[in-house]
Amino acid sequence: MELTELAECVSSMSCVVTQLAAGLTIGMLLFLVASGLTLIFGVLGLVNFAHGSLYMMGAYFALAAYGPTGSFAIAVLAGTLGAALLGLFFERFLLSRIYGQDVLMQLLVCYAIILILDDVVKIIWGADFRNMGVPPAFLHPPFIIGGGVVPYFYAILFGITALIAVALSYGMSRTRFGRIVRAAAVNPGMVGALGINTTVVYAAVFAIGAGLAGAAGALSAPIRSVVPGAGVSILIESFIVTVIGGMGSIGGALAASLILGLTRSFGSIGFPLFVEGAMFVIMALVLILRPSGLGGRRG
Amino acid sequence: MGFGRDSAIALAVLLVFILLEFTGLRSAGLVDFAIRFATFGLLALSLNLLIGSAGLVSFGHAAYFGMGAYSFGLLMQTGAWSVPAAIMAAVAMTALLALIIGALCVRLSEIYFAFLTLAFQMLLHSLILSWIGLTGGDQGLMGGIPKPPFLGVDLARQDHLAAFSLFCLVASAVALRQILRSPFGAALRMLRDNPDRAAFLGLSVFRYRLAAFVIAGSFAGLAGVLMSLYVSGAFPSFAFWTTSGEAIFMIMLGGVSVFLGPLVGAAIFLMLNDWITAVTEHHGLFLGIILLIIVLGLRKGLLDFAFEHWRARKGSQP
Amino acid sequence: MSTSKPAGLHRRRLIGAGTAAAITGFPNIGFTQARQPIKIGVPTILSGRVAQLGISSRNAMQIEVDAFNASGGLDGRPIELIVRDSRGVPAEAARLAREMISSDAVEFLFDAEPSSGGFAIHEVVRETGTVTLHINSETSSLTADPRQRFWNAFRVARQGIHDSIAGGYYAASVARSRNLRRWMTISPDYAYGRDTTAEFVEFARGFNADIQITGETWPRLFQADYTENITRLNQGRPQAVYSCLWAGDLVTFVEQASIFGLFAQSQLFAVNMADYTTLQQVRNLPRGVHSGNRYLRNFPPVPGNLAFATEYNRRFNTFPTNWSWQSATAVRLLTTALRQVGGTNPREVAAKLKGMTIESPFGAEGTVTMRAEDQTLVDYAIGWGTTISADPFVENMQKADWATIRRLEAEWKRGKGWG
Repeated sequence: MELTELAECVSSMSCVVTQLAAGLTIGMLLFLVASGLTLIFGVLGLVNFAHGSLYMMGAYFALAAYGPTGSFAIAVLAGTLGAALLGLFFERFLLSRIYGQDVLMQLLVCYAIILILDDVVKIIWGADFRNMGVPPAFLHPPFIIGGGVVPYFYAILFGITALIAVALSYGMSRTRFGRIVRAAAVNPGMVGALGINTTVVYAAVFAIGAGLAGAAGALSAPIRSVVPGAGVSILIESFIVTVIGGMGSIGGALAASLILGLTRSFGSIGFPLFVEGAMFVIMALVLILRPSGLGGRRG
Repeated sequence: MGFGRDSAIALAVLLVFILLEFTGLRSAGLVDFAIRFATFGLLALSLNLLIGSAGLVSFGHAAYFGMGAYSFGLLMQTGAWSVPAAIMAAVAMTALLALIIGALCVRLSEIYFAFLTLAFQMLLHSLILSWIGLTGGDQGLMGGIPKPPFLGVDLARQDHLAAFSLFCLVASAVALRQILRSPFGAALRMLRDNPDRAAFLGLSVFRYRLAAFVIAGSFAGLAGVLMSLYVSGAFPSFAFWTTSGEAIFMIMLGGVSVFLGPLVGAAIFLMLNDWITAVTEHHGLFLGIILLIIVLGLRKGLLDFAFEHWRARKGSQP
Repeated sequence: MSTSKPAGLHRRRLIGAGTAAAITGFPNIGFTQARQPIKIGVPTILSGRVAQLGISSRNAMQIEVDAFNASGGLDGRPIELIVRDSRGVPAEAARLAREMISSDAVEFLFDAEPSSGGFAIHEVVRETGTVTLHINSETSSLTADPRQRFWNAFRVARQGIHDSIAGGYYAASVARSRNLRRWMTISPDYAYGRDTTAEFVEFARGFNADIQITGETWPRLFQADYTENITRLNQGRPQAVYSCLWAGDLVTFVEQASIFGLFAQSQLFAVNMADYTTLQQVRNLPRGVHSGNRYLRNFPPVPGNLAFATEYNRRFNTFPTNWSWQSATAVRLLTTALRQVGGTNPREVAAKLKGMTIESPFGAEGTVTMRAEDQTLVDYAIGWGTTISADPFVENMQKADWATIRRLEAEWKRGKGWG
């Protein structure tokens, strides 16, 4: 524990700005992955253990699109759409066959998908790690705010992820589709009885969730190496977010992601050897005090 | 019936195995296979107490496997423990870990349960990696595990180790079978099928599930001990999620509803694994596709499938 | 397919061996016996995050083995490699080693696992007495600790302690000339990262007492994101940063730290930077990163080294790694011993390997030696230089002096009680 350093940091403007900006950006990237996971769970009642693999695929699709085009926008679009289409494929041909069955079946199908995708990327893109690199358009010196450092590209990332979050929340609360999705989460039978094709709703929700994971993978491709098996660590963190935020709650996922992001960035100053542990402690506390999570429905 | 018959069958099986070990059929490959089969068979069998009987899908069972292996290895490396004492202590320590994690997890609904167990397992895994002074980090426990002979058993010899592992497997299988036959086992199944009714009858869901969790964890710890004896060390991958995934895979291959299903699954899995690594480096692709075929095609384990088929043909009552 | 080479290649090789035998006039009966291949088992990682380790090891071995077979093998007996994937699971590595020895009847093992699997295999061959060359384990204790030594195990790899002495010496002199006093470290939180960093710091401070470590940060192995570690480094405002992160982890760290402007204020000493797979992946390589050599085709600047890289590139369309030169050296050492012994008797081959010196393009002075005392490779080229963004990627290479390394290594061993 280096709490004096933490105290020094919190009382210094430059340190607070740097850590806050970094923590929020990392938190928002995590939110994209976790919101997809929680959305799929909320509506389909399915724990997508293969969600991390969709994140990885998003990064690989982005890499493949960035190579020939050199456009980051196209890369992100390719990562998002590619992962969404892949998710759609999995939902239609594999996962939809096991709806209503126990967790064991879901777990096994997802486990198979993880095994297969890790090998498929190795066959297509090679076993070695790949790196996209920050696109030249974003290679500007970092912003210096109050003495704190905010990298230009992190500011861009924060902006894009925040836009996606706003669009997601608007889509869920204000559009007809969002209302159907929320209704389907509570009572799929009723939605079906109203003449709405729940099969289509499920497929769409899974594709959106997969697309969110893909977007996160694509957005982080310039700063994180892209490698087979990259999905696992992000999967564990997304699980922690979903537990803390409450399964199925997008608002809860946002809060939990930002809490984890900030825990990481300030924790690296105050308790560098216990950052990982701290996330588990927060999760355990939430489970004991409020088992349904921060944003979860009671009962 | 019951215990006597089980024990007799078990004893006969064990004798056949051990005779095989010491006859002309014996080969280094067979001896190694026997040890690995006993180890993974026991791991899968213990996990099926949770999955098959209690309906608790744990994705973190490797934590106890790893805990057993590391506790045993560390105790033996002090040089102050005999093998049987260290095994008992290692299993006790594993039981304690299972008690703590179980107390936090068993209250939760099945999906939360699945990935909370997963999360705690990852915590243990990263602890093993970081606590280098104790565990050796990613290099595992180094320098080998001393195996002083006891009661004429010299575990440094592979054939002795194979016979010992098979003995542990068979004894554990008999014990687990007895547990499932007891009123406790019946209560677990009722909790799985109808928790409300069980609660109405005054059964404490929490206590029964926790007890099952600790028992399963302890036997997984024993499996971990066997593993550490086999490789003469302990490694972080013992407590990694892929080990849990493989144990679930084995159960699924064999079947959840037949008691010996996990053992059949373990044998098939090991043979499959050995064959696949010999022919291809795209291990995951092959295993993944086979898994999908079984899960989506058969929708149950091989023994489950065979058993139901047999019952349907016999046309007898359920 | 890891185990069998394309049939065409195989046939051609046998024909080659046959012609060689026909020319030298072996009788036909002896011929069938003589072409029985010498099987060598290679447990390694071919899948997942560090698959490059196994792939680039196998590639280099194949080049050398093909050359050996084409030149007649061991009196007409070609070498056959049996390469299998342990997926990085040590227990699986131990199993593969056992299986290769008992079922495939391999006569030698090239253990191309990283340290964890390497130690597991070490225990297996301690029992079976199979002559084994550890190719990729850099952990010093594998051979430095006398309890780990036995007659049939050899290490053909760079070693952590050698790198640390060379790096410490180089860093101390740079620190002196540029007055770098405040240092921080960022290394992966596992045994290799902890040990290597501690040894580097020990030697750097031993050469230059002004060096102060003002902070350290330990990301997990394979951590996805280093932002929190980088902001911590930023807060500490060090003049120099040491790291033994490697491969994808190092690239991620460098990319992220660059956009935080970390390298504008701090010099980076990254021991594992100078490997082509790493160098070519960094898109925004900061100028002047100090790095040790992993594998560079122009260091040592000798024709044999360049030829090796060119041949590797021609066949596999990529460049060798550190693991590649180690694998190539292992094949050259073993085949030299086999030919000198004139057979495959394990005791004789092991005795021949012990203390053997061969010519090598990867040697500091044109040779490498399998040191008799602890059966580990010495006199391989170690150097430090600074990176530039294009080929040859590293310039101003300074070659480490093996006399110094040997002296300090001996002191270090005595300090550990291993002397």
